[in-house]
Amino acid sequence: MSSSFNISRNRFDPAIVWMYVLLVLVGLVNIYSASVDVNNLYQFTNNAIALRQVMWISGAIVVILTIAFSNKNLIPYFAYGFYGATMFLNIAVLFVGREVAGAKSWFGFGGVGIQPSEFAKVGVALALAKFLGSYDVEFKGWRNILKSLAIFLTPVLIILAQNDTGSALVFLSFFLVLYRVGMPSYYLIAAVWFVIIAITCIILSAKTIPILYLIYVFILLASLAIYFLRKSRMAIYLTIGLLAVSGGFTYAIGQFYNGILKQYQRDRIEVVLGLKEDKRKTGYNLRQSKIAIGAGGIVGRGYLKGTQTKMGFVPEQHTDFIFCTIGEEWGFIGVTALFILYMALLIRIVNVAEKQQDPFNRIYGYGVACILFTHFTVNIGMTIGFIPVIGIPLPFISFGGSSLWAFTLLLFVFLKIDDRFSK
Amino acid sequence: MTVNQNRKYVFIGIFLFIGLVYWIKAFSLQIINKDYRGIAENNALNKITLYPARSNVYDRNNELLAYNVHIYNLVVFPRNIENLDTTELCEILDIDRPKFAKLMYSAIDHSKVRKHNNEYNKSAVFYERLNKKQLIQMQENLFKFKGFFIEPSSERYYALEGAAHLMGYLTEANENKLAEDIYYRPGDLVGASGLEYQYEEEIRGTKGFKTVWQDRLYRERGLVKSRNALVKPIPGPEFRTTLDYKLQEYGELLLNNKRGSVVAIEPSTGEVLAMVNKPDYNPNILNGTKRSKNYRKLLIDGRRPLFNRAIKGQYPPGSTFKTVMAAIGLQEGIISDSTQFGCAGGYRMGSLRVGCHPHGSPLDLKNSIRISCNAYYCKLYRSLIDHPKFGSVRNGFAKLAEHWKSFGLGEPLGIDLPGEKGGNIPSLNNLDRRHGKSWRSSTIISMSIGQGEILLTPLQIANVACIMANRGFYYTPHLIKGIGATNSTPKKFTTRKNTSVEKKYFDLVVDGMAMVTKPGGTAGRTGVEGIVICGKTGTAQNSHGKDHSLFIAFAPKENPKIAVAAIVENGGYGASWAAPICNLMIEKYLNRTNPIYSTKIPLLEKRMKETIIE
Repeated sequence: MSSSFNISRNRFDPAIVWMYVLLVLVGLVNIYSASVDVNNLYQFTNNAIALRQVMWISGAIVVILTIAFSNKNLIPYFAYGFYGATMFLNIAVLFVGREVAGAKSWFGFGGVGIQPSEFAKVGVALALAKFLGSYDVEFKGWRNILKSLAIFLTPVLIILAQNDTGSALVFLSFFLVLYRVGMPSYYLIAAVWFVIIAITCIILSAKTIPILYLIYVFILLASLAIYFLRKSRMAIYLTIGLLAVSGGFTYAIGQFYNGILKQYQRDRIEVVLGLKEDKRKTGYNLRQSKIAIGAGGIVGRGYLKGTQTKMGFVPEQHTDFIFCTIGEEWGFIGVTALFILYMALLIRIVNVAEKQQDPFNRIYGYGVACILFTHFTVNIGMTIGFIPVIGIPLPFISFGGSSLWAFTLLLFVFLKIDDRFSK
Repeated sequence: MTVNQNRKYVFIGIFLFIGLVYWIKAFSLQIINKDYRGIAENNALNKITLYPARSNVYDRNNELLAYNVHIYNLVVFPRNIENLDTTELCEILDIDRPKFAKLMYSAIDHSKVRKHNNEYNKSAVFYERLNKKQLIQMQENLFKFKGFFIEPSSERYYALEGAAHLMGYLTEANENKLAEDIYYRPGDLVGASGLEYQYEEEIRGTKGFKTVWQDRLYRERGLVKSRNALVKPIPGPEFRTTLDYKLQEYGELLLNNKRGSVVAIEPSTGEVLAMVNKPDYNPNILNGTKRSKNYRKLLIDGRRPLFNRAIKGQYPPGSTFKTVMAAIGLQEGIISDSTQFGCAGGYRMGSLRVGCHPHGSPLDLKNSIRISCNAYYCKLYRSLIDHPKFGSVRNGFAKLAEHWKSFGLGEPLGIDLPGEKGGNIPSLNNLDRRHGKSWRSSTIISMSIGQGEILLTPLQIANVACIMANRGFYYTPHLIKGIGATNSTPKKFTTRKNTSVEKKYFDLVVDGMAMVTKPGGTAGRTGVEGIVICGKTGTAQNSHGKDHSLFIAFAPKENPKIAVAAIVENGGYGASWAAPICNLMIEKYLNRTNPIYSTKIPLLEKRMKETIIE
């Protein structure tokens, strides 16, 4: 061992490393299955996609080694720098990137592409940790709240501009991190309230009922509340404030949904909410995905024997819909194992984060957990029909260099800065 | 540092909550819902029908009548078309742009999975029957035309341009057929008339299947690895008919440009040797994509080319019927060999008058046949029906009708072709309705000479000739000779059917018939030298203009080999057209099967072939 790398001081949390290795291998095995030519099963050399994933995994090992041999003290130091760099790359890609499936979010280098938005997650996690970690105090003051919001809403805007809605929305998961840092609980309650309003708005739009009616309902409820609570001046103000915010939000959602979202996006959302019949493409993908998972049964159809994925009925089967292959070929048992693995990883990350002395490390750890959790929720949620089809990868499992490298970087930076064993 | 540490549990709670919800959803999808496995199999497994070759059809001398031709079609899967080089495709197929557009629209239309939806997920024939040059060029360049592929198929062809009514044709199975027989799938071809219809189940063969993987774009991805993945189709067995190809062809030639029918039967077996109908059509025009267009054309053709006159046409038999009347009269003892009836230019009774042509009088039975005297048969008929032994006119007629029925009249004979008509033998009720209850034998006198209510199909008339040839019995006329290796014909075709008249009486009638084709007979000038042809002319009045020319005949007199009936619509005297045609048919058949009868009558033959009777 070189002198700069002291294994006793830089031990990576073994549980997390093993879970990482397991997830990556699960990914490779299923990518192979999802992309193999049915007429040439068992001929690994013929499977270009699996071979490329092997290449990406090798790259990920290089990433891990680089982190291992680097100086962890430099990491917080470069947090803003890294954040800035990823933001710059994401803006640059708007101008020099190439378009893949309608989204201009890829840098092309010969045959391979790099998606900078994946790395922006690491940048945001670092920057947010740096910003919030520097005040080891309660999360207070508009200024700080706005600054934290700015840190993770900036990439949302940039990536929306790349026309990659899915990747952009993932950054909203940092909202959860704020909760850990001290954001009052009612923010979370408000968030749930807003989600309810948003869904109601969508249902109304789908049924072509003017959204204004919802605002009328709010006004009616507020009037009743004011009538009953008329003794407390404070309650009246609060009610009026809630009314204004909810009404405004309702209006904004209406504008966003009907004005900014495209028809296909609205279709997807409405299919998920069960408002629209599965027709044409939108429903087709979702339906095939559910068929694949459902066809797995208890023990699955057997490795390399899933017809839904082998015959191409499931779209994007080695990337965003890799879960279908797992569900189809490994069945409920495989799905259960995967869920346990994921849950264990998330809980382990949170637990390790809580044990950190440096708030930077802790907040960063929560960032990692929230990103992984959001990806898990959105990716699997879309394959089983809980969430609109949003193309984001299943961390460590989906095919792809950018996402594998970015998630590896994200996770191993956390393992690197882990200070439980430091003096 | 410990601020908000408990919020860790909120996070873990949220993680586990989502994990649990998804886990329950997975449980519901994978374990509770049992449908998905089946849906997935439906998606990816495709059972492809392998079509068997239909039976080849042969004539009695093993000449091929119907066969299958392998063709190659250019098939398109419209959804997969990419960057199509229309110009090059048009060049290879030698079609112009409008034609291309027409073919493409039609293919796209046919690529719908179901009629009224918009899922264009099937492949459809784009260009039928690639010729050799097109096939080679397409195969070489197929990689350029994404979405197009070449598919082998087969088409039914009929060697004989005629015999259309016998062979029938194929058509796509309609909804009724699909509903009644699960064997058929939409688009399957099924026999729609003639033998193709009658023996559909015997000659269609047995479909095979192969189960293949099929991907999202409905492309085949290899055979499923399972024991039952491939079931080979079984081609239809060789089907042999009783037809004599050469005789059929000859009959069609003779009847050219006329309307009518010629039916030739081997009396000793009931095997139909030829069944000619005119006008007819070329059965090969009802092949492939032009089927429905051509079929509509035939359907609206005023000359009714689709009409199988031989079994569906119902004609008054005219004087050919006198042979039947003579036999029955003898059987009932109304007349004997020597009974003579006088004729003064016809039969008169009050206001009733049945005309006759001039001839010597009185006449005995044989000469009544030779001369075809109407008065003789009017008298015979009345004596029969009015005979005291029956007690009443009604009983008399009923007895007569019973005899007629034993000759296979009034009901379909049961030939193995669809749509056979039975002609008409009026029932007592029919007569009551037509003539009132108080009809007498004189009221219905026209039936004595094969007119009036009596109607027969040409097949029935030919069958009468068979009965005469056999002296009193017949076998149900049929077209099947054997299927596959077996030569067995169905039992109903090998069961002898006896008439109610004894053999000895037929001998007398046949003697008379032998005189018909000799000098002095009504068909005396049409006889064939060297062959004793027993015949009977008929000239049937009808409501469609000039009389129909009819003739029945068989030969040789002893041990007859062939019985023929011909009817030439509006041809006039029986001796003018029907008799020569029958005699030529007989000559042709005997001459070929037995050279001792060799005689040729080129002039007569030429006249028959070339004369147009509208």
